[in-house]
Amino acid sequence: MAHFELLARCPTTRARVSRLTLAHGATMLPTFMPVATQAAIKGLTPQQVESLGVTLILNNTYHLNLRPGIKVLSEAGGAHKFQGWNKNLLTDSGGFQLVSLSKFTTITEEGALFESPFTGEPTMLTPEESISIQHAIGADIIMQLDDVVPSLTQDRARVEEAMERSVRWLDRCITHHNLSGKRATQNLFAIVQGGLDLELRDRCVTQMVQRKNDVAGFAIGGLSGGEEKDVFWRIVKQCIDKLPEDRPRYCMGIGFAEGSYIIQSNLLVCVALGVDMADCVFPTRTARFGVALTHNGPINLRLAKYARDFEPIDSSCPCPTCVEGSSRAMLHHIIGRETAAAQGRSLLVSVTIHNIVFQARIMGGARDAIMGGTFPTYLRQFFSNYFGDVGYPEWCVNALRSVNVDLLEGSDIKVVSGKGAKWEYSTAA
Amino acid sequence: MTLSFSVASSSRFGPRTGNLTLRRTGTTVSINTPGLIVATSRGVVSHLGPEQYKRTPALRVVQLPFESFLENSPPTPTLQPGPNPLHTFLGFNPNQHLLSLTLRDPADHRETPANGHDYISASTGRGIKRITPDQWRAHVHACAPDLVVALPDIPWTLPPFSQKRTTKSIERTAAWLAHMLAPAPQPLNILVHMAGGITEPARRAFTDSLTETLHGKEADSVRPHKCLDDGASGYVFDLVPLRRALDASPDASRDDQQETVALLKASLTSASSAKLRVVNSARSPHEILRLVRDVGVDIFDSKWAQDAAHLGVALDFTFPVSSVTGKQRDLGHNLFRTQYAHDFSLFADSAPACPCGACAPLAPPTVIAHSAHDVRDTPVAPTPYTRGYVHHLLHTHEMSAHALLIMHNLGVLDTFFAGVRNVIDGGGNFGDEVDRFIAEYSEAQAVIDEARTMWQDVNIARGKGRMARERADVADD
Repeated sequence: MAHFELLARCPTTRARVSRLTLAHGATMLPTFMPVATQAAIKGLTPQQVESLGVTLILNNTYHLNLRPGIKVLSEAGGAHKFQGWNKNLLTDSGGFQLVSLSKFTTITEEGALFESPFTGEPTMLTPEESISIQHAIGADIIMQLDDVVPSLTQDRARVEEAMERSVRWLDRCITHHNLSGKRATQNLFAIVQGGLDLELRDRCVTQMVQRKNDVAGFAIGGLSGGEEKDVFWRIVKQCIDKLPEDRPRYCMGIGFAEGSYIIQSNLLVCVALGVDMADCVFPTRTARFGVALTHNGPINLRLAKYARDFEPIDSSCPCPTCVEGSSRAMLHHIIGRETAAAQGRSLLVSVTIHNIVFQARIMGGARDAIMGGTFPTYLRQFFSNYFGDVGYPEWCVNALRSVNVDLLEGSDIKVVSGKGAKWEYSTAA
Repeated sequence: MTLSFSVASSSRFGPRTGNLTLRRTGTTVSINTPGLIVATSRGVVSHLGPEQYKRTPALRVVQLPFESFLENSPPTPTLQPGPNPLHTFLGFNPNQHLLSLTLRDPADHRETPANGHDYISASTGRGIKRITPDQWRAHVHACAPDLVVALPDIPWTLPPFSQKRTTKSIERTAAWLAHMLAPAPQPLNILVHMAGGITEPARRAFTDSLTETLHGKEADSVRPHKCLDDGASGYVFDLVPLRRALDASPDASRDDQQETVALLKASLTSASSAKLRVVNSARSPHEILRLVRDVGVDIFDSKWAQDAAHLGVALDFTFPVSSVTGKQRDLGHNLFRTQYAHDFSLFADSAPACPCGACAPLAPPTVIAHSAHDVRDTPVAPTPYTRGYVHHLLHTHEMSAHALLIMHNLGVLDTFFAGVRNVIDGGGNFGDEVDRFIAEYSEAQAVIDEARTMWQDVNIARGKGRMARERADVADD
């Protein structure tokens, strides 16, 4: 089983620092997890990813089950060996992509019925089957199959049914996992459901916490569907306040879809609320458009204003792209006109490296600040650098107030409503 | 910065080894020949980021077409502050990498508007731009490359070319070399493209114009050199325009390979035999071996091997041939093929000790610590990448596949050249080894053609709903 040590708690907020030791080494929390959907992080080798200080990545079960398939992964000796990744790995249950990518999916008590992408035949993904697939993949952390409904679903009865079913499926996952003999190397996480309904979330948490001895950690699911950010943080806080201290907490999918441009603030707010882990496609997804992350907000390297800028993306950044001195002008040049072209991928590699390190630095800085008792100052500093010019998103102010940090104290930065997306647009016609 | 080149053999033609040494302040870069020069696009080795350059030991000499930089005026690298501006701007290491600048991409075969009496038409990402010898000289001095190819007048209009056009090409190429040789604060190491097209007498005439002693004003303008040839560090042969012209003048009785050798020899008959010889766009190791054997070429670009990586082919051959199978083997493996899905062996059978970053990955020497409490676990020695993994990456359109294959293919080619040098220096019969290689490996490159088709299929099919489309395709069949 996983070894989870709590190293420090922030005296003001709910943030904490911990060490999670799994079969492939230790991962310091809070952390973000880069997403290697198809068992690769865009253009990088696993050695490169490791050199960036990343110790935990995510593979998607749905995709790996399609390609290369469980047979190949088993022959290779699991996903770690298959992709040459010697650090920790997490897989999801496959359920979320099933719902979002499949043509039809019907949820029954037995499992999720969907059209097989291979044969077109109706196929059932049961909780047991999901766990078996994840056993073959061999990730250090595996997720229960849950009944996911879009977060904006109005039908409370359906949300309630899904929540209760997720609890029942957790029991089936636990039974199957415990009988498999994989408990020593693979760790099952439960996923709290209940939509945007605080009462349903409460009931779900309570029931799942009763099963604490059989799960290594808790995830908060069902929150990537475009809900209001002010609702989002309240749900996260509500769940975390009832989760046990001695288990890691994973907030799922917060870097997904529309949330992606506000991922940095999302991440830090979640950390302040007590989240330990978050997955994040943002660094790799935006790199493809030439967007590099900095403490002052994202910069769009495609813009003409960078054509003559011989500074690195961030001269204080320890990533190889910045240390080796790739300038904004050089990165601007290799984008050229066609990002799909082969040399465009060289840009992608350079910017992906930078963005992953940027995210890891933010989380590393948070760990240091929590350990040193200065996390509230760290939060204020980050938000003032990042949003000083455009104003604080109101939901961030509200969320941090709930954990005793007032961003507005002694600050003349304005507050703006909305999600707080910050984007560098081209001013050219 | 001084460049020197020495060859072990005194004969004008035939296989030879040599050494190209560049001394710059505080460092010496030494390159053994025959060897390779790595192709780039928009200033980068495609599929690799600058971060991967130091993990690619085959990367020593780099070919940099300048034309994409003409999109901005003045071109961005010319504004780079500090020493070694071109290295700095593009992320190459002055202690390891020797950069050779050309205006145009020697692999680009597309038709281009005619050159003029005092300009060349270059192809940029924003259309055709004219560039004059004056501009080229200024850009080159601002960039300070280790080697530069003087502007050649290669016609890129439709062949065949008239005798008049060929004569113009010879005159302009010589004049533009002279222009490059005019005294300057920093000396340049200049390569000259051997003009004359596919006519042997024209090629000889061009070389004569290089070696004839100059007098009067002409001599003053290139002082201290007595002739143009004195100022050139080496000779470049671009095969793409030669093939283009040969294809436009079909002749059933002509063997184009022998003809290419004859054309190169015509250029070199009266040239200095001790100068560096560079060939661009050789298409196979077979062609490389013939040009080493028959002409004595020193450096070849690796574009074809990089293209093969782009298409999903892992090269697998050695020189000399290590074990004769007696059947014509492919030069590599098309990793798109289904047979590799379950194949967890190394990329290459014939090079089990391939030193590349894919076959012999190293644990990262350092890992970035993001907080004071991060502790690095004892590094685990990484295992080599497998055909099965790259097969998966190719079919899921993950570009890590190409990064691994580029590193590997450059590694295979680099090892191949080391083998070539060993056979030549060992005093064995080089020609016999070439014959064995040609008998053992297929030159047809069917494996690369097949990969190209499969690459296109995946390229078209990638993205959401691909499995459904594939199924529909199968149903249609």
